[in-house]
Order: sequence, then C-alpha cells, then structure tokens
Amino acid sequence: MLLQFPASNFSDIDFHTTYDAVVVGSGAAGGMAAHALTQHGMKVLLLEAGKNQDTTKILHSMEWPYEHPRRGKMPPDYHALTRNEYNIRQPPYAQGSPYTNVVSYIQGWGGSDYSKTLVVNEKEHPYTGTRYAWVRARTVGGKTTIWGRLALRLSDYDFKAKSRDGHGEDWPISYADIAPYYDKVDEYLGVSGHPENLPWLPDGKFQRAVKLNDAEVHLRNTLKGMGRVLTPYRAGVTTDGLKHNKYRMRCYGRGACNRHVGGCDIHAAFDSPTGLIRPAMDTGNLVMRPNSTVYEVTVDKDTGKATGVSFLDSDSKKSYQVKAKVVILAASTLESARLMLLSKSSLYPNGIGNSSGHVGHNFCEHVMGPSVAGIKTDLIGKPRTLDDGRPGGFYVARFRNLKDKSDFVRGYGFEGGSGCGMIPGAAYTTPGFGEEYKKNVRDYAGATIEMGAFGEVLARYENAVDIDPAVKDAWGIPVLRFSYHFGENEKKMAADMAESAREMFAAAGFEIVSVTKSILPEGWSIHELGTARMGNDPKTSVLNQYQQSHDVKNLFVVDGSGFVSASCQNPTWTIMALCWRSCDYLADQFRKGEV
Amino acid sequence: METALNRRDVFKFFGVAAFTALQLPAADPTAPLFFSRDEFALLDALTELIIPSDDHSPGAHEAGVAAYIDRTAAEAYLPEDKTSWRQGLAAINELSQNMSGSVFLKAAKAQQMVLLKQIAAAEKAPKTEAERFFTQLKQTTAFAYYSSSIGIHKDINYKGNVMLDKFVGYEAT
Repeated sequence: MLLQFPASNFSDIDFHTTYDAVVVGSGAAGGMAAHALTQHGMKVLLLEAGKNQDTTKILHSMEWPYEHPRRGKMPPDYHALTRNEYNIRQPPYAQGSPYTNVVSYIQGWGGSDYSKTLVVNEKEHPYTGTRYAWVRARTVGGKTTIWGRLALRLSDYDFKAKSRDGHGEDWPISYADIAPYYDKVDEYLGVSGHPENLPWLPDGKFQRAVKLNDAEVHLRNTLKGMGRVLTPYRAGVTTDGLKHNKYRMRCYGRGACNRHVGGCDIHAAFDSPTGLIRPAMDTGNLVMRPNSTVYEVTVDKDTGKATGVSFLDSDSKKSYQVKAKVVILAASTLESARLMLLSKSSLYPNGIGNSSGHVGHNFCEHVMGPSVAGIKTDLIGKPRTLDDGRPGGFYVARFRNLKDKSDFVRGYGFEGGSGCGMIPGAAYTTPGFGEEYKKNVRDYAGATIEMGAFGEVLARYENAVDIDPAVKDAWGIPVLRFSYHFGENEKKMAADMAESAREMFAAAGFEIVSVTKSILPEGWSIHELGTARMGNDPKTSVLNQYQQSHDVKNLFVVDGSGFVSASCQNPTWTIMALCWRSCDYLADQFRKGEV
Repeated sequence: METALNRRDVFKFFGVAAFTALQLPAADPTAPLFFSRDEFALLDALTELIIPSDDHSPGAHEAGVAAYIDRTAAEAYLPEDKTSWRQGLAAINELSQNMSGSVFLKAAKAQQMVLLKQIAAAEKAPKTEAERFFTQLKQTTAFAYYSSSIGIHKDINYKGNVMLDKFVGYEAT
C-alpha cells in the first residue's frame, strides 16, 4: 500500500525537451504546483535540492525508546543548536563547531535520530547577518515531512488588515477568492477540526475532530465565558481517510506526531510526497529529480522571459541546464528570494522579477515564546488517561483587535495541550529525588496543561534578506544575509500574550506553574513569509494576485514569499490554497498562449 | 536472583572465553565501557537513590540507568562531555570526604542522604561542582529511567503508542 517512489535519476530528465513548467522545490508549494499543473495535463519537471528519503522507512514511529541504542537520540557527532547558541553566537552558527554535523534547533526535541537527515547540516549551509533560527529541510517533501500539522485558514481580518488598522498593505485577494481553494485543499488532503463559526478563523471541510481531555474541556468552557474559543487542534491530518489517495492511511492516534521531531510514517498527516507528488506522478505528466540544487533562473535576452533553470547535481556538483516554458519557484520563502536575487542579468541587474526592489523585503513570520504551564489540581494522583493518542491538543483562536483595540495591532493564537505523553514532562520539572520525587512525577504527569502563543510579526520593508557575496555554501553559491528584527509591536504583543495566558489559566482555576514572558529567537516559528509579496502595484509588489511576476510573465513564485502579511494563523494550508488558485490561472493562461 | 539461569550464563561465558582466548586477550563483558568499576558503582548507587525501587515499580538500577550513562559517556564526541561525568563523581566523593570523612559509598546511609539533600536543594540554580553535577545527573537519570521499559510500562504505565480506532476523550460541544 505504501509504495516507494520509482528510483528517480538523471536519465529521467530529457535535456532536449522544453518542459511546460519546471518547479523548484518539492514541499507544500512545489508539491501542490506539481499536482495542480499535472491535473491540467501540463508536462512538469520537479527539481528538489535534497535527497529522496522515504519517511515510511526512516521514521520508525512506533519504535520504543529502549529499542534504540541511544534512546532515539542522534549520534554523538551530531549537534542540534540550542536556544542559547542562537543568542550568543553570530551566524553562521556552525562555524568553528567541533561537531561533524550541526543541525537546527528543531532536532533538539525528543528523540531525533530518525529525522536528522531531513534537515540540513548547517556546516554546508551557512548564512550571515542578524540572528535567525532558520530551519531548512532539504529532502523530497521539504518541511512537510516534519511539519506541526496545524492547518488553519486566514480570513478578511488578515487579507484586509491594512484597511482595519493602517499598517502595511491589503492583499490583492479577499477571502471569497481563496475560499473555494481552501475547500479543495481540505477535500484533497484531509483536515481534522470542529466547526466554530468564527469569521476570523473560518471553518473548513472538516473530517473527524480530535477529542479533548478533562483539563482541556474545562479550559474551553472557561474561555467561552470570556468570549474566547478553544477548539480541538485543526490538524492537516486525514482522520477519516481519503478514498482517492492510495499512498495515505487515516490517523490511528498512535501519538507518534511529535515523538521524533515530527513526521508520520503512515502519512495520515499530510506530507507533500504522498499527498501530492506521488499522485501527480501517477498522471504520467511529472518527472522529479531530487539532488538538484538550482542556482539560477535563466532568461532570454530578447524576450525578457525565463527560459528555464541552471542547477548543480547536489552530489557531483556538476552543472546542468533545463528548459521550460514556465518557471515556478517553490523553494521556500527565503530560498526563492535568494534564487531571484542570484538570477542577475543585464536585463535584471537587481535580480529577476525585482524591478520594484521589494524582493527579500517585507520579510515576516510569527513571534513565539510567551507561554503558560499549569496544573489542574483535582487531577493530581488520578488514574491517567491516554492523552497523546491524537495529532494535537487544542488551538485558542485570536481574540485581540477584532472588535476592541489594544496598544498593539493584529493578534495571536495559542497552541496547547494537557496530559501525559510517553515520557512525562514532569520528570524534568519535579524537584527533589527519591520515592517522593518518583511518586510526584506519577501523580502530576496527567494533571499538567500548557499553551504557547504564535503572534503576527508585522511586514516591514526594513526586515529583509539579501545576498552576501563574501560567503558561499558548500556548492559555491552565495548565501543569504539577514537584516531582521522584531519591532515594538511584537514586543508589546508578546507582553500581552504572557499576561493573557496567565489570565486564562487563572480564570480556569489552574495552579500556575510558570509564565514565560521571554521571546524566542527570530525564526523559531519556522513560518518565514513575505519576501516577494503580491500586490496590484508593480512598484510596491513583486507578484500579482496569481503569484505571477509583474516583470516576467512566465515566472511564478508559489510558496510563502507572496504573503502580504503573516496573519497569526499557521501558513501551510494558505500556501497550498493560494498555489492551487495560481496554478489554475497559469494553466488557463498557458492554454491561451499568454504566458 | 541467584538462580539456575545465572549459573547457565556463567557457564556460557566460560565457553566463549575459552574460545576467544585463542585469539584475543579475554575481554570482560561486564566491565563498564567508560567508567572504572568504582566510578560505575558510585554512579549506579546515585541513580538508584534518585529513582529508587519501591512498592510501585523497580528503580534506576534495575532499569539500567547507569549502563545507559556509561555508554553515553563512552560515545561522547567532545572530551568535556566525558570529563564532566568523571569530575562530577569525584566531586561527590570529595564532598563526602569533607562531610563524613569517607567516600560516598563508604559513608553511612543517613550521611549519604544528608549530602544528596544538600546538593539537591540548589537544583534550579546550582553553584558548586557537586551541585551542578547533581542537576546533570538528575536530568539524565530522569530521561534514562522514564524512557526505559520499566519507566514507561511499569512506573508510568503509559497506555499509548497503540493503534486506536477512535480518539480517546470528550468531543467539543
């Protein structure tokens, strides 16, 4: 049932053919582009810099920790960057490290031996400038192989936010434009959720919702009284199954989602390889080549159009060129911006598609850190329930700056959960030792509840990335230089996150164990957005509402780059809905010969 | 646990040793990988004091916590990750000498508890070498014990990591 990809290799590419489209990157956006365009009958070449790793085989989701020689931890020559290292070191963080392999902070969680090869070795992938905890997954499927699965919609509170508070720009689309595509994504990939009928967090075409436990139900009821909504985790997970996809199973509540950093080896959680790419291959219209590091979009000097891409074989570092009628960048918000800036020519001296000068700018994401942990005291010492047999706990929808105004603009939501996992968190936080410690760990393990915030970082022109000509990656490609800081709005918002978190737990009567006020390093959310924003004015935006370059008609950028603002809702579902909409437009234009 | 099974193991071991002796100096399979026997005995005792065997479940000794730490130290990539363990154990013995005039394992049980309580009191903000070592030892012991078969199945009695037809809990209403 869970089939492997056909061995994809060099001979799959026909270098004499001009493909209808070449897609760069195989994550949520690249997978969706491959799916949508092959459905329209276009002949697509998909290039991925990373290797073809089958998570079905490598994740071993149900292996017990004691079945692994290092209890699931990475080999000793691997090192995951710590929060403190992002604070005290200057990028490139891996420089000077004695470890052979240095990986991003995300590998520091839990047992991570299984997913260590999905993220890059920072020694090969340096970057410079300001602090940024940049998580990169170069592998077929990109970050969807380990994503957090929260699948939320944006609303007109986001798309028309400037009209409400004056900051930034409105999106060139409204909710009505994208709603049908959210529906299509829901139905094609599966999303779990409970309808709440909130205008600022629209409901989807939900499959079976996850259930809440005692403390979570209690918090939901408390928040109802405060006019706030705690809803079961809206997971991009098929909980009822998908009849049209033979590569995925429905969720069986194994609780494996977070055990090995992430990833689902039965593919109930959406990942691009099984959700999008394999079905696209089955159309016969898709060729995929992993191990292909694209470094330039090539252009025709006469027409100004893109002609294809140049890439290096990631192993041999030999250079190749492929031709395509349309070039689609889906390499991630930061890597797509890097590629545009690297693609300089006499026609496009500032990089392809960058006549506005906005490529790399308006870079935004989510601010994280403030959180609360508590105890529902009547659960202490009670028999524990099975709390982690589900793809997530709960989500608290945005409640700030909807009707009222506060001393900051925009809003934030909380992700959280209660109860006991395989290894109780109480083991690390319970003080003391001996029989009393051991009993306390047991008694408190099921009584804990915690939640942490994700808030909108305002898109600002001065938050940007550009190319650092002095530093090159292991492939000789100049790297990104960050100039990115949280601003006053984020700091005020973070203070309010911590206070409102405390307020809600206090209202629920939980014993508060800790309130965290500090902000995590920039990049922690892994939600980079906005580096090639959409808009109606070519002078102030890079892409039109179909993620098509204003300057180069046959260049599309379909990942998070096109976001005009970050919203506070997690972006993956919106990336895919936007991409599908753009690809429908592209296919129509392609048929008419207008790209 | 002095059973026939143990004697059979001993017999097996002798058989193997007789064979390998022809090619290699006899390796002692019970020897720790990194620590000396004395260090290992101290480590084993300390982990068992942190998570003891009691009426509810076996403790750190039976869960093999010291063996896990021994292996971790043996494989450690950075020299300081090895030495921190060795120096930490030495710091415990030094403190024990100062407090009771003998190394930790030779000290009376009551004196051992006084020492541990003293360094555990500074758990959240350790200052001395012995206090820092306690925090390192406690966190590692917690992970090694609660990720062991005994910790997961006998102590916590974790019910998950199974295939569920339906989610457990309450529906949102």
